[in-house]
Amino acid sequence: MSTVTASATLKSRRWKTLRDQLPNYLFILPHFILFTLFLLYPIFRGLQISLFDWKIMLTEQKWVGLANYEALWNDKVFWQVLGNTFWFMIITVIINVALALVVASGLKHRFYGSDILRVLFYAPGIISVSVLGIIAIRVWEPQIGIINYYVTNMLGGPRVMWYSNPSLVIPVLSITTVWWTFGFPMLVFIAGLHNIPEALYEAAKIDGAGLFGSFRHITIPLIMPTMLFVVVTQFIAHMQVFAQPYIITGGGPGNASRSVVQYLYETAWKYFRYGYASTISVVLALIMIVVTIIMFWLMRRRTEY
Amino acid sequence: MSTATNITHKPRRRLVSKDARRALIMWLVFIPLGFVIVVPLAYMVTMAFTTEANQFVLPINWIPQPPTLQNFIKIFADPLLPLGRWFFNSLLVATVGTLLILFVSSLSGYAFARLEFPGRDMLFSLLLFSLMIPAAITLIPAFLLLRTLGLLDTYHAIWWPAAASVTGIFLLRQHFYSIPQELEDAARVDGANRFRIYWQISLPLVRGALLALAIFSFLGLWNDLFWPLIVLNKQANLTLPIGLVVLQQGSYIQRGLAFAGAFVATTPVLIFYAVFQRQIISGITTTGMAGQ
Repeated sequence: MSTVTASATLKSRRWKTLRDQLPNYLFILPHFILFTLFLLYPIFRGLQISLFDWKIMLTEQKWVGLANYEALWNDKVFWQVLGNTFWFMIITVIINVALALVVASGLKHRFYGSDILRVLFYAPGIISVSVLGIIAIRVWEPQIGIINYYVTNMLGGPRVMWYSNPSLVIPVLSITTVWWTFGFPMLVFIAGLHNIPEALYEAAKIDGAGLFGSFRHITIPLIMPTMLFVVVTQFIAHMQVFAQPYIITGGGPGNASRSVVQYLYETAWKYFRYGYASTISVVLALIMIVVTIIMFWLMRRRTEY
Repeated sequence: MSTATNITHKPRRRLVSKDARRALIMWLVFIPLGFVIVVPLAYMVTMAFTTEANQFVLPINWIPQPPTLQNFIKIFADPLLPLGRWFFNSLLVATVGTLLILFVSSLSGYAFARLEFPGRDMLFSLLLFSLMIPAAITLIPAFLLLRTLGLLDTYHAIWWPAAASVTGIFLLRQHFYSIPQELEDAARVDGANRFRIYWQISLPLVRGALLALAIFSFLGLWNDLFWPLIVLNKQANLTLPIGLVVLQQGSYIQRGLAFAGAFVATTPVLIFYAVFQRQIISGITTTGMAGQ
């Protein structure tokens, strides 16, 4: 008898708590609806659409199974744009990370005007990619651009065709992107460097370590957690590069600077092949997820000591 | 006594103090980099005020000879290039989008930090999981959904997906955590309901984080090219970043116009940056927020 009442009161109390907590769902509801509609559902919907020959005008879509994936496997352009994207990502991430870390090592100290330099170095990051494009087209222009003005007119070098040379176009787009984006990893590195105790550097100095020695043996190993964050976010951002080649070179010459996302964009919104474009997006996402996991795994091991 | 004075390390007087020397060395090291950063931006400003005829003159006259407003007059007067309209559109897109993000993210961030309800941790893990999925995969389904809803070529197609972002929730949740629980308890004793506590007690206490989120959301929406390019269509509906791409196509190949447009699109964000530089810099260094 007593146990029955006890469990009954427990039950009614639980009901009361639940009823009391129910309005809390109202707080997350607005975001959750949007999150479901525009992030969660599209992830699964994207997988599904990739199995169809999806045409926007049709009322009934044709199921094709894995045919899109098979076609993608045999698609020479896809392999080329995937190679371009990896090449662009690797150069951009390496230069961005190296430059950002070196600059951050200097700017982590406070000195007269250090704030100005921080603000200045991040400044290109706040302009739109469209503005970046307008500037970059002219700066690297072979006849009238600033770069060739120095390279050719002043130093007597060859008149380099930066954008129409297939082997130069991606490095040039990378350097342009570094100019635009290195401020972000730089600021993140400054924050990370502040977590390394200054006493370590002083101890190393007493032991006779030079600037390079302490960078190699203190900064590099201790910055690894920040490095992981920076490398992963940079990887994710630059693997999905679109606008720089789209605006500046249009993907050319030929397909030499076309990126995966530009190929996806054109497949969907120029040729209206949504099924095939979804396949591209799924494969890109899978590649990125796998590489991210590998990076976590590699860097984890290196961080433990 | 005398030993004590010896131990106390008095800084030796030098002609130039150690701090000044460090500053000098750093500036010498960083001046070349600063130069590389500044020149392309200065170039844009110069060319915006340079006549079309002088666009190709080398060496560059950094002070345009003669300085001109003809590029600006042309783009603002050309009915095919409604730059003023695009500017206003961008302002509308960025402002409303930012407010929506702030509202939706703060409600949700508050709930995940302060309120209890069944399934809370599971739902939060779901948000975390979504961070691992590259945005590329959501493009087509989100586009097709907006098409079905009849929202293409309207700004709803930009606002609602933007508010689905989860980064703001993580940021604000972190800050709601740091508010002392006693403040809310006191308000509860005084009879305030949970919505009033959120609105009147907690929200004002995370002002700093809200401002940071607002700044980055605004900049992101103002600058974005890719998503507006997909969902907007009519010339009159475009935002500035797409407008600038249009400025460079076909018959509008005039260089001065493109630079004038770039100048118009960049000046507000540069002023914005100058005003909020401290919040922007510390926003990144403390939260690692805002990517590309």
